[in-house]
Amino acid sequence: MSMERRNFFKILSTASAGVVATGCGTDSDKLIPLLVPEQDLIPGVEYWHPSVCTSCPSGCGVVARVMDGERIIERTTAGKTEKLRQRLAAIKKLEGNPLDHVSGGRLCARGQAGVQSLYNPDRIRGPLKRSGVRGEATFQPISWKDAISEASDQLLKVKNEAADRIAIVTGPVASSRSNALRGFAKAIGAPEPLVCSVASHAAERKAAEIALNWQGIPFYDIANARHILSVGADFLGGWVSPVNYARQFGAFRQARMEVRGYLAHAESRLSITASAADQWLPLKPGSEAQFLGAVGRILLDLNLAPKAASLPPNVLAAFKALDLAAFIAATGIEERKLRLAVEQLGKSEGPLVLAGASTVHTNSVDAIVASHYVNMMLGNVGNPGGIQAPAKSPIEPLTNTKFAAALSQARAIVLDEANPLYTAPKAAHVREALTKAGFVLSFATTLDDSAAWADIILPAHHALEGEIAVAPAAAARVSLAIGGTFVQPLYETQPISNTLAELAGGMNVTFQPATVKEIAEPLLPKDLTWETVVREGGFHTDATPAAAPLTKSKPAPKAAAPTNAFALNAAKFEGDGPFLLQPYLSPQLHEGASSNLPWLQECPDPASSAVWSLPVEIDPVTAQKLGIATGDNVKLESASGSITAPAYIHPGAVPGVLSMAIGGGHTHFGRFASGRGANPLEILALATEPATGDLATGATRVRLTRVGPGKDLIQYSSEDKEERPHAHR
Amino acid sequence: MVIDLDRCTGCEACVVACHSENNIGMSTPEEAARGRVNHWIRIDRYYEGQFPDIKVKYRPVLCQHCDEAPCEPVCPVNATYHNPEGLNVQVYNRCVGTFYCANNCPYTVRSFNWFDPKWPEPMQLQHNPDVSIRPGGVMEKCTFCIQRIKRVEDQADAAGRPVADGEVQPACVQSCPAEAMIFGDLNDPDSKVSRLAGDGRATKLMEELGTKPKVVYLEKAR
Repeated sequence: MSMERRNFFKILSTASAGVVATGCGTDSDKLIPLLVPEQDLIPGVEYWHPSVCTSCPSGCGVVARVMDGERIIERTTAGKTEKLRQRLAAIKKLEGNPLDHVSGGRLCARGQAGVQSLYNPDRIRGPLKRSGVRGEATFQPISWKDAISEASDQLLKVKNEAADRIAIVTGPVASSRSNALRGFAKAIGAPEPLVCSVASHAAERKAAEIALNWQGIPFYDIANARHILSVGADFLGGWVSPVNYARQFGAFRQARMEVRGYLAHAESRLSITASAADQWLPLKPGSEAQFLGAVGRILLDLNLAPKAASLPPNVLAAFKALDLAAFIAATGIEERKLRLAVEQLGKSEGPLVLAGASTVHTNSVDAIVASHYVNMMLGNVGNPGGIQAPAKSPIEPLTNTKFAAALSQARAIVLDEANPLYTAPKAAHVREALTKAGFVLSFATTLDDSAAWADIILPAHHALEGEIAVAPAAAARVSLAIGGTFVQPLYETQPISNTLAELAGGMNVTFQPATVKEIAEPLLPKDLTWETVVREGGFHTDATPAAAPLTKSKPAPKAAAPTNAFALNAAKFEGDGPFLLQPYLSPQLHEGASSNLPWLQECPDPASSAVWSLPVEIDPVTAQKLGIATGDNVKLESASGSITAPAYIHPGAVPGVLSMAIGGGHTHFGRFASGRGANPLEILALATEPATGDLATGATRVRLTRVGPGKDLIQYSSEDKEERPHAHR
Repeated sequence: MVIDLDRCTGCEACVVACHSENNIGMSTPEEAARGRVNHWIRIDRYYEGQFPDIKVKYRPVLCQHCDEAPCEPVCPVNATYHNPEGLNVQVYNRCVGTFYCANNCPYTVRSFNWFDPKWPEPMQLQHNPDVSIRPGGVMEKCTFCIQRIKRVEDQADAAGRPVADGEVQPACVQSCPAEAMIFGDLNDPDSKVSRLAGDGRATKLMEELGTKPKVVYLEKAR
């Protein structure tokens, strides 16, 4: 039998990255989802296994290249510790799964660095129990049995007193893991898990519901559009599904005979999307709603809105009644330029408006709702090259982002794939909540800022070590990316489904989370078997699901019509400083959960070329006025506190706006991130977007002062201008 | 190789893909501050014009595998030479670290290992066994992922067929989400790279130096 298996692997192992990526008919046969036992590992022979990236909600399917590897382990026998070399199956590289329709065989910087989080030297080795004062991050090892027993006792105590005071906090990825957490919360009578993230895209979901009665984040058919006006969405950087949208962007630009897509981008930062655009319209922060109001009105005025009649009457009237001059003035864009941009959009044969909230403002939902109505009047809703309805997610995403209120009342806090102490501002009082809570439990794989405050840590397997299913954040077709178990866990961790079931058992509750198979199988079309899905790393289909998924989800609301609420409120800002702080999701570090990966720390920041550091972007006029030079340390001060960071004088920074990538300033996150840089989220005011309760990351005014010369800015290249200008037609 | 700058978004997926494939030593902040970060591919970014009419140019720059490579004749130990397939390759165990090649490269794409690279346990599990680890004192640079080329050639040989156009993909090309990078045989007039190299947007970097680079850039359409 073992001989047969070995031969089987040998045949399969002829798959290579190149062959897989070329997409011939038998590619899927070469992806094997089985755990490779050490005895079957042939040195130098590679195996490719499908899995899923969980570093953001996009849900990119990946393939992992597995070969034999060696590590040093310590073994203690009879009081004597010796070091041994252990041979095991190791992941050498992650690439996009060519059969996955989100990644299409491609992957972003963070996705590829996922293997470095698996082999991160700072991973937690086994269950830990706090041994010192909470927050001091002093822990001692504890057995799984004792840890589960103690944690379930603590949770049971709170459940019996006030189950609604158990706050389970997680991230924005809709996965079998978030599904298990939701089931666990329901089983023990706790409220639905909360999402604490600056990448929850709550505004995008809400706006789609209001304007189009769609559940989920709309999908933009960029590849088939001819002229895109994108507003506030850094869709090639940190917004929603960067790999998929970058793939589409490449096709939009150069995959069609005699058609080259034109991109105009309106945003208050020169992001990588703005940089790739044919035209950047530098908006005043928070004026996206006014900008889109003006776009709609100008289209109507120019008779370039062929489907204006399809707008709800109140919306059409609102566009016609708005004070165009005031709206244009609010955007900070020269009127001539704005009118020209709108005229070009309206005259295109394939116009598309793509709006989002890379930086959330108090009026972000208004802005995105307006963009949907503009698309409606342009007639592209549901059409090729237009905005597409999101497919029903096989795993219902968690959407409650009102974590601050819940945490303040919490008697027990459970943390999984969320780091509220880092991603929430100081004003959200997460530290106080973690201090006050009777019990804090974490499932972290690496000790982060919040896990450092846990009483007990029950480390889960890394996403690449266990089975997982992820529903992509944006997809026009029902799809699920699936990863199996193909490398053995490195440490004494366990699947979160087991941990949750054991915790529930300890609380005298019967709970068994749905397995990946149980989630996926009812959704499969008749011609697709589970074995095929496992081998290919997931599925996507237009077919109607055969049965309801086992997600314990509520059915989509059966609203007869969208609510059509339409207002174009001005953004509100908190504080009294002269500058606006704009933290952003960078392509490398996103919301800071990848900061402990050296590949990403030494990957130069696209704007400043900074490595191992993240600067504040300051416009040249402000810098000159305040006597600040690139590399100086500057202090940003809001009503909530202050941070000190190096300055980068950015020739494209919008005057009065201080942008800074999220990712630095971790108190605890391993040797590569702890104590490095500053976290711009820390000093944000607790302003929220009213329709969603989501944190308004762009609503804080700050003061800026020069501290003095600094050494913290490390630039890979300090050249901003080309020494020998090269042809750029 | 052809790089279409009209597709490139400057996302740096290629930079990380290259590290992942080629066992490039990790820097530390202290070494990075001394300019000792090793990248075989980088994204040059330049700003043109003034706010608000400012433009950004992103350009992935890697070894151009020049036909008249300025790095080759200056190496006193023949550590860098042209292989029969036209690749500019580096023989690590010949290199004595004179730095002459890096000084002579107009594209500044060569990286020097100032120290033996270190990977804390268990990060070495990720190492690609197809690529040797370079010790301190050795110069290194992009190989167009020669190990991936060889692998595909071997597979094609075993199957008794020629290598198909597009079948070889260096790690950077494989990763690129916007499909801005294309790799192929410039000697084959029917290959995709040959067709693209004849495009009206095609240019080469610092061609005027006479280096005859083999990376073709398709400039951004305006």
